Amino acid sequence: MDDRLISIIDDDESLRLALVGLVRSLGYRASGFASAEDFLNSGDIDASSCLITDIQMPGLSGIELKHLLVERHSPLPVIMITGRADPALRDKALASGAICLLKKPFEAAALLACIERALAA
Amino acid sequence: MTEAFADTADLLDLVRESIFVRDLEGRILYWNKASEALYGFHRAAALGQDVATLLHTRYGVPLESITAQLHDTGRWEGEITRRTVSGEDRQIFARWSLRPSNTSGPATIVESGHDITGRKQAEQALGNSEYRYRNLFQAMAASFWELDFSAVGQMTRKLRAAGITDLHRHFSENPDIVREMIRQTRVVDVNDQSLALFGGGDKAVLLQSIEPFWPDASSMVYAESVVAALSRKPNYAAETRLRRLDGHEFDVLFTACFPPESLARGTLLVGVIDISARVRAQAALQKLQADFAHAARVSMLGELTASLAHEVNQPLAAIATNGEASLRWLGRPEPNLDEVNLLARRMVADARRAADIISRIRSMASRQVQEKSALPLKAVIEEALLFLRHEMQGQGVMVSLDLASDLPPTLGDRTQLQQVVVNLLLNAMQAMAQAGAARRMIAVTSRLSSPDTMQVTVEDSGPGIADAHRAQLFDSFFTTKDAGMGMGLAICRSIIEDHGGQIWVDAAAADGGARFSFTLPALSQG
Repeated sequence: MDDRLISIIDDDESLRLALVGLVRSLGYRASGFASAEDFLNSGDIDASSCLITDIQMPGLSGIELKHLLVERHSPLPVIMITGRADPALRDKALASGAICLLKKPFEAAALLACIERALAA
Repeated sequence: MTEAFADTADLLDLVRESIFVRDLEGRILYWNKASEALYGFHRAAALGQDVATLLHTRYGVPLESITAQLHDTGRWEGEITRRTVSGEDRQIFARWSLRPSNTSGPATIVESGHDITGRKQAEQALGNSEYRYRNLFQAMAASFWELDFSAVGQMTRKLRAAGITDLHRHFSENPDIVREMIRQTRVVDVNDQSLALFGGGDKAVLLQSIEPFWPDASSMVYAESVVAALSRKPNYAAETRLRRLDGHEFDVLFTACFPPESLARGTLLVGVIDISARVRAQAALQKLQADFAHAARVSMLGELTASLAHEVNQPLAAIATNGEASLRWLGRPEPNLDEVNLLARRMVADARRAADIISRIRSMASRQVQEKSALPLKAVIEEALLFLRHEMQGQGVMVSLDLASDLPPTLGDRTQLQQVVVNLLLNAMQAMAQAGAARRMIAVTSRLSSPDTMQVTVEDSGPGIADAHRAQLFDSFFTTKDAGMGMGLAICRSIIEDHGGQIWVDAAAADGGARFSFTLPALSQG
């Protein structure tokens, strides 16, 4: 059981709940948000050890959120997930400083590997 | 000579019939006032003249036979043609009497005559008219029948006497009575086209009861024509199916005509036009329209493929993730079954969600024949929005809804009406995307616009419709889209009109965008 908090942002409720459930099954604490704005307003930025966020969302996208975090000099490692197979998107995501980019649907083992990488950083 | 008739002259001048006397050579010896009036010659001008020359007498039969009869029997009567002083020919019915010679003088012929020209003309006209009628009846391209329904008349009189007032209902409830009426209706005459259409080599074959020509399924149409005849309607027409002598049934336009003179005689006139070709063409047209609508739906789905695929992937990804989490919980030294239970429930819900999305897609892609049922308009619109939810999210489109919740249902095909709503929404989204609009809003409203009509309006915040395009908007192959085919709105119009409604584009919406509206009739709660 690891005490570290992993925050999860996805506008799709089913997927968000599933991710929260998966992260908890991996032994971490998890908390879910429906939008980047909700996360920013939550005050959990500093408390989080890792952020998993969807890219395509109404309002702020996952990549825009990462840019904001960089502006705020936040060390929070970000894992991005997307449903799109767009190579240009992949480049943008990694260029923004994301630790990992996962394509939906992904295997839990892949997410676990990304989380471990993010927490080690 | 004139003096010899002076006494009776006054009397004869009062007689309306033309009376004159001539000698055997034809010279006029006496000429009454009526003769003056008839032929226009004054007494002074007529006396002493040869009548045949003066009046240009023409006989219908040889003069010799007339003269022979006159001398044999002393009488003759017949129709002759004479010319008046003004040159007009008149038909005269003349009666001749031979007055033999006696002590007062030689033999004379007394003629009385009256003008039958008017009557002859009327007879001629009637003859012509009958000739034309006969020709028409015979040669017309439609099948004509003259039917004797005096027996049916008796049957209906008995029903009336028995107190039946609503014949229509009585016939609906008693089909066997209608069959009997059909059996008792007999064919009096038919024209050539009837032989050709119904397959009789000889007219005699058709001169029987109309029973073999009327399939059971068409009985009510016969009943209705009887009711129409008895209600003093001038005619009746309906589409129905009749039967040839060889048993082959075909679609016809059946018309019956009830001129009062014929009704009094117990006959009526029926015209039958073969509309099989037209019915087939209509069926083919409907199928074509359905195929077009289907093609348009498939095309719309094609445009939405990416967002639909994405939409299905979400619940699938959630299921996979939940599954993996469950395995981890189960893999612990002490499996957390409560957690697994929760995850399993979520997986079931996600699977249902995926199935619903697939089902919506299948329904939209379906090629099935149009199926109309009572539909709640609000649900149809909401489902259409659900269909596009993902695409709208992706494009940043905000939707505002003002849907009346107490609208009556409409009779319609769910897939087709959804297609119309989806098409309008998609057009709005694409217009705003093409124009790169910063603010993308669509407002959808539904309301009762009149006691039996509902109106749906889709308004967007896009660039609107150019005045020049407004008239062509619903034409086939008209499009302002970069890669559009231009069939969407044309098909929407044919769908809405097929449902008894109208679709149109309004003058510019409040903020310059496009505003489309369509109406649908409310299903009357009968």
